[in-house]
Amino acid sequence: MKNLNMSQLFEKLNDVKSLFIYGQKIIPVLQSLVDFMQETVPLLENINHSIADSTSKIPRATDQINNVTNATELATTEILDLVDVISNNLSTIDNSLKDITEKEKIKSSVIEKLKALLPDNAEAMQLFQEYKDNDVTISQIEKLSEVFPKIQNDTYNITLSLQVQDITSQQLAAVNHLIESVQTKLASLIHDIDDTNLKEVQSSENYSTPEGATFDPNASYDKSGDRQDMIDEIIQSENQKASQDEIDKLFS
Amino acid sequence: MSLKFLVVDDSVTMRRIVANSLKNLGYDNIIEAVDGKDALAKLAADPAINFVITDWNMPVFTGLELTKSLRSDEKYAKIPILMVTTRGVKEDIIEALQAKVSNYIIKPFTPQVLKEKIDQILANVQ
Repeated sequence: MKNLNMSQLFEKLNDVKSLFIYGQKIIPVLQSLVDFMQETVPLLENINHSIADSTSKIPRATDQINNVTNATELATTEILDLVDVISNNLSTIDNSLKDITEKEKIKSSVIEKLKALLPDNAEAMQLFQEYKDNDVTISQIEKLSEVFPKIQNDTYNITLSLQVQDITSQQLAAVNHLIESVQTKLASLIHDIDDTNLKEVQSSENYSTPEGATFDPNASYDKSGDRQDMIDEIIQSENQKASQDEIDKLFS
Repeated sequence: MSLKFLVVDDSVTMRRIVANSLKNLGYDNIIEAVDGKDALAKLAADPAINFVITDWNMPVFTGLELTKSLRSDEKYAKIPILMVTTRGVKEDIIEALQAKVSNYIIKPFTPQVLKEKIDQILANVQ
């Protein structure tokens, strides 16, 4: 009985010895793990700080994008105002030229009548001819009148090109939305690492997104007409489908 | 038929461009609304409005919501509604057709397309 106990004791001591030997082997590994952790912590803190820093800058980025949208809208409005002024001025000049043309026609008619009254006066006839040769007003006005519709058309085309402002503002709103989504994700990441930093980020949220703002992330300034053709085809096809459904209902 | 247009768009630029285009086509009777809710108020205040040109993406009340709201009201069930939007995905177009828009224009539009669509709508109305 005593021998059995001693044998068990030695067995246990051997186990403890193995454990010590294993411990001696594992201690350097644990030490290197601790060293690694000590080196990693500042790195993680650094990453955390960078994320917090980047996140706090995001509101400023969205503000700047909103400022760009507001500035382009203001500038576009100013351009539209100027185009309206140019159009109105062109109309005024065009109307004045029309009046001048009418008066010139009356003047020509008066000259012809005068010529008819003085058919025997050679000097007067010569003067009338000289007057006619130098009278280019009507032809000049006609040339100018041809240019006016072109200028009007060009100014109108400027107006149409300004549709780009609405399209880019939607694209910018989509970018803003994307940035805000990234900020939310980053904030939640910071929350996982350190609660206090999240509070800092939230307190720096001074950006404003228009309430209920909607936008089309796929908005594009495509003047080719292909997209309109595609839409027309879809509408035609859907209308045909609807008509066929109505016919089918009638016969069912 | 004397037409009175209601141009609905949250973008002041687009409202002016559409209004200018309508004036160029000879339509001078135009009023504007900044979103769907404003459009409903303008329609209620002015029974002479008989043609709506609306954007889709607007805050407060979208062009699609406006269309659905008008179509569900007997008074406006047949008023022409022309959607002018940047949304060119097939699903969007079908959704708009299901909401019963009269026609659909993608931005940026040309005056020729605007005229063509207005003429098509008017031909169907008459």
